[in-house]
Amino acid sequence: MPKAQFIDPAKVRAKGEVTFSPIPVNAYDKNVKEELDAKNFTKEDLVRIYRDMVVIREFETMLHAVKTTGGYNGVEYNNPGPAHLSAGQEAAAVGMAYTLTLDDYIFGSHRSHGEILAKGLRSIEQLSDAELDKIMNDFWNGATVNVVKKNFSGSTKELAIRFLLYGALAEIFARETGFNKGLGGSMHTFFTPFGIYPNNAIVGGSGSIAVGAALYKKVNRKKGLVIANLGDASMACGPVWEGLTFAAMDQFTQLWEGDMKGGLPFVLNIMNNQYGMGGQTCGETMGYEVAARIGAGVNPQQMHAERVDGYNPLAVIDAYRRKKELIEKGEGPVLLDVLTYRYSGHSPSDASSYRTKEEMELWEANDCIVAYGKELIEAGIAKQDDLDAIWKEIKDTMFDTFKLAIDDELSPRMDLKKNPELLGTMTFSNESIDSFSDATPEVNHPMEENPRVKQIAGKVRFVTDKEGKPVSKMKQYQLRDGIFEALIDRFYKDASLVAYGEENRDWGGAFAVYRGLTEALPYHRLFNSPIAEASIVGTAIGYAMCGGRVVPEIMYCDFLGRCGDEVFNQLPKWQAMSGNLLKMPIVLRVSVGSKYGAQHSQDWTSLVAHIPGLKVVFPVTPYDAKGLMNAALQGSDPVVFFESQRIYEIGEMFHEGGVPEGYYEIPFGEPDVKRAGKDITILTIGATLYRALDAAKELEEKYGMSAEIIDARSLVPFNYEPVLESLKKTGRIVIASDASTRGSFLNDLARNITELGFDYLDAPPVVVGSRNWITPAYELEDAFFPQPSWIIDAIHEKIVPLKGHVPTSNFTDAEQIRRAKAGI
Amino acid sequence: MKGFKGLHNNKKNKHIKKRNMATAVIMPKQGQSVESCILTELKKKKGDKVAIGDVLFAYETDKASFEEEAKVAGEILEVFFNEGDEIPVLVNVLVIGEPGESIEGLSPEAGAPATVEAVEEKPQTTIAAPQQEAAAPQPQIAYSSTASAVSPRARALADKHAIDAAALKGSGPGGRVIADDVEAAISASPRTTPLAKAMIKEGGLHAPATGDGLAGMVRSSGLSATAAQPAMGDGDSVVKPLTNMRKLIARSMHASLQNSAQLTHHLGADARRIMELRKVAKANGLNVTINDLVCFAVVWALKQFPQVNAHFEGDSMRLFNHVHLGLAVDTDRGLMVPVVRDADYLSVQGLATRLKEVAEACKTGSISPDLLSPAAASFTVSNLGNYGVEMFTPVINLPQVAILGVNTIVPRPKDLGGGVYAFVPYMGLSLTYDHRALDGGEATRFLKQIAIEIENLNVEL
Repeated sequence: MPKAQFIDPAKVRAKGEVTFSPIPVNAYDKNVKEELDAKNFTKEDLVRIYRDMVVIREFETMLHAVKTTGGYNGVEYNNPGPAHLSAGQEAAAVGMAYTLTLDDYIFGSHRSHGEILAKGLRSIEQLSDAELDKIMNDFWNGATVNVVKKNFSGSTKELAIRFLLYGALAEIFARETGFNKGLGGSMHTFFTPFGIYPNNAIVGGSGSIAVGAALYKKVNRKKGLVIANLGDASMACGPVWEGLTFAAMDQFTQLWEGDMKGGLPFVLNIMNNQYGMGGQTCGETMGYEVAARIGAGVNPQQMHAERVDGYNPLAVIDAYRRKKELIEKGEGPVLLDVLTYRYSGHSPSDASSYRTKEEMELWEANDCIVAYGKELIEAGIAKQDDLDAIWKEIKDTMFDTFKLAIDDELSPRMDLKKNPELLGTMTFSNESIDSFSDATPEVNHPMEENPRVKQIAGKVRFVTDKEGKPVSKMKQYQLRDGIFEALIDRFYKDASLVAYGEENRDWGGAFAVYRGLTEALPYHRLFNSPIAEASIVGTAIGYAMCGGRVVPEIMYCDFLGRCGDEVFNQLPKWQAMSGNLLKMPIVLRVSVGSKYGAQHSQDWTSLVAHIPGLKVVFPVTPYDAKGLMNAALQGSDPVVFFESQRIYEIGEMFHEGGVPEGYYEIPFGEPDVKRAGKDITILTIGATLYRALDAAKELEEKYGMSAEIIDARSLVPFNYEPVLESLKKTGRIVIASDASTRGSFLNDLARNITELGFDYLDAPPVVVGSRNWITPAYELEDAFFPQPSWIIDAIHEKIVPLKGHVPTSNFTDAEQIRRAKAGI
Repeated sequence: MKGFKGLHNNKKNKHIKKRNMATAVIMPKQGQSVESCILTELKKKKGDKVAIGDVLFAYETDKASFEEEAKVAGEILEVFFNEGDEIPVLVNVLVIGEPGESIEGLSPEAGAPATVEAVEEKPQTTIAAPQQEAAAPQPQIAYSSTASAVSPRARALADKHAIDAAALKGSGPGGRVIADDVEAAISASPRTTPLAKAMIKEGGLHAPATGDGLAGMVRSSGLSATAAQPAMGDGDSVVKPLTNMRKLIARSMHASLQNSAQLTHHLGADARRIMELRKVAKANGLNVTINDLVCFAVVWALKQFPQVNAHFEGDSMRLFNHVHLGLAVDTDRGLMVPVVRDADYLSVQGLATRLKEVAEACKTGSISPDLLSPAAASFTVSNLGNYGVEMFTPVINLPQVAILGVNTIVPRPKDLGGGVYAFVPYMGLSLTYDHRALDGGEATRFLKQIAIEIENLNVEL
């Protein structure tokens, strides 16, 4: 809500109408001969388009044979993994790739073999032999190219084609020599040196990720555009729509300044094969009739949408030539509805029971390769013999590639018996990187001139002043200041760093963490996103994949559900699934609410801690917040950074000397003893620390029990040793947080502590979490969140009866059983 | 679960309980920490007339023997136990009254005399608040009808200190035995020797809940199982079951040799000075023996060698600030080693008096079991000089680290200087030490120091 944009009631309330421009449908009406005559293509180009389509067709034919007959050309092979084939869609893929250069990136779907081969073949054509040699030899130190090089004496380009086919096929067959060490597989394989970015097994998954890649290009002034190749059915997915809204934000043209002004270089390329699995998008499962219509709902430019005949490669190329020009002028994003048809089912197990034989035969009769071949012959560019020779050569190459890819000696799988922890070592990259960019960070003024920095300079960095008196709220260095200091420091160090989310600019974030950053940073480094968490996280993933550091923020923890796929399926997976080619330097800020009821107060740390591949931290002191944020921003892994709205204002009461002004990091995974004691250990996650401190005070004063309090600080990773050391001393432990108890990470801690410290235990580890029901209104929260009295009651009931204590909450076994029976 | 019910304890009337006219005689509680005693001999049987002062029965704890005298006259109406039975203290043993008087309610268990098996099968017996009023109807020994829960920490701690955690009354939720309970039991009981701990663990024996001075040995199955067996023979030999004390001695002596690295150094001390002191004492009418003087010399030597005045506790040494001197005493019942605590506070006469007191108490069986624990002494002296023994290898009373054997005095030639040799009386000293705790050098220096003290003893008599 920038003040620069004035909303004039007279203007917005005035009578008028929204008009639409007609959306072209299959407007292309030329043929090969005409294009040749117009010198839009060379003969060689036109033949190569044919060849590229044949390569895709044969690749998919091979996989279809393997899946349905257990072999190819009489050589047996069993491929248990998926194969979503795109035979029939070759013209759409080759047409899409034809105009692209190495600077242009494509992202795909589960059905993207055709697209990666098309883009790969096009890149090979554009690269010099020397460049190709370098790419191939550098990749996995030549492990992939060495397999195809053996006994091969053809040209570098021919070798590169074999390299491309082999790298993709070996990946599909889960071989270590594959493009992603066999860890991505059919639905994820990609090869960034050719501008091929990840495909995605989640329908519409690339819808926001590709937008983030386009954002990276724009913000970091990189050439090229980014294409998301998505199926027609994915247009139903919320995250795809969110990606579109993000890509089409007005601010790119209205608020971003200087050379940053202009639309995102993004193309949503709908590979419209007219089916979503068995559902027919036109006539059954969607209402758009023509998918290109979607563009009209996005922005006044209607995303320059049009439907293109994807059965004609030249029609697609024609469209891209025109759209590329628009994007280069800063008029993106673009939507193309490329109509095509797939011959095979959704997967080889699909009997195509939802469509008629007549329909399929009719499309095969109009086959894009056959039809284009005819045009080549008619235009006098090639004879049937020439085309046959292409087929023969491709089939031979494919058979060679197939034999190499199934050879267990040449193409071994990752040896997880010999190295059982290998996948573990690939889960995180664990690097320490100051900056992901060589550029000078763009800032509006020197850091010391920043109003927030100046304000903080006058604050007291501990809860008490030098005389030991409590510091007033206004003078108190707060937890939010700790996060701010870490962030502004990194903004001045790493030019690639951007931050965005809802209300991040001007407002300074809903919880005032970013106050002051608006003054310090140009728009393109800190901006407001649509209220669309899937796009906030999804774009961040694409941004990081391309090599940038990013801090997305989703305001309330409760909104994690809105970006479930992005947080659970995308963010944690790509480092390992890429074979460690990608890094994921993303710090996702998530704020745990309070006061705002059932949908704004939940601690969902357990949900993210459950997902392998995410680092999860929850600092609750200014010192920890700054140190852990610094560590998160220095790393190369995805970190979900939890904050608590209950304590943004809290001062530092533990770290001697207060929060340091300079830079420091707190390592992930190290729990911290916040209060020493000897009779009982209380391990807390999140702001419950402060309730535990109150409980400890009462335990000491009333019952003479000395409690040691440990703040977990991190959930993933987590070092149990300090906890066990404490347990050795006390023999007793309560584990508490604000998360609802059932399925909480607290139980994971309890289980591990029980196993690791069994003989030290004087009672079972006792979990004190929130109740398994809605968070009520603020005034009633005491009935939901763990209170100091709950901790004492739990100790009394389950660990050691406290003399004279009268519990007010029910921690008896009978009640525990009753609650479980009742599901609450 | 079998066990004793209706046990009574009357603080005011410790040994006698009146109910109607008949009087129950209980097994007395001998020593702070004694839990049960063995009925060694019934001097009176059912139907016998008794007068006040008649000995009713003899009984023993692990090391001391006692006799119970009648405090009322009458007829023995009932005897609830047999010789050899292990009887928890404060339990009724027999009833004295007028013929025909009812003994109802005086039986330890509703009419049926308790058997040895019953004793055996009550591993979870817990002594509960023995100071309760006699009128309290509920049994004072609490039986948990369900297996009592023990926390892992409490179990580990109990195991380390050879405490029977399951027998403790738990203060945790639902009566769970928690570490606090074990710690309380540890502090309530005398320290348990590593040897005893090992024996308890190996033998699966239970340590007494409240701890008795002898580290749970009273609970060994052998104690209770064999006592009632009669002597058997084949004409050529007689098989005599071991007394409990014999068994205990056998076990601890064997264990001592098995569980430590013992060796003995022998050395002679010029006994002229000490013999002279003995003469002076005699002349002054003081009952100070050669042994008392040797013990006094030993105390002085120990003060200079704290590492010998110590216990070896596996991974640590416990060095004592004072000397608690154990003295091996030969009694009719076997070897006993009473302790004189804080012997370093005593003058030679004081020491002599205390040594005589404890030795006498051992011989009469009135010694407190608390003074017989091997852990009670920091060092032991065993004197066989009176028997003419010239050299022997005493066995260490673990966990002590050494024991001094005192031999007879024999004349030995000695260089008196100037080429003059003469026979002088020499006292043989045999120091057995645990090589785990001490090295040969320091053991030798200590032994030598004893000799020096003996040769230069300077006391006023």
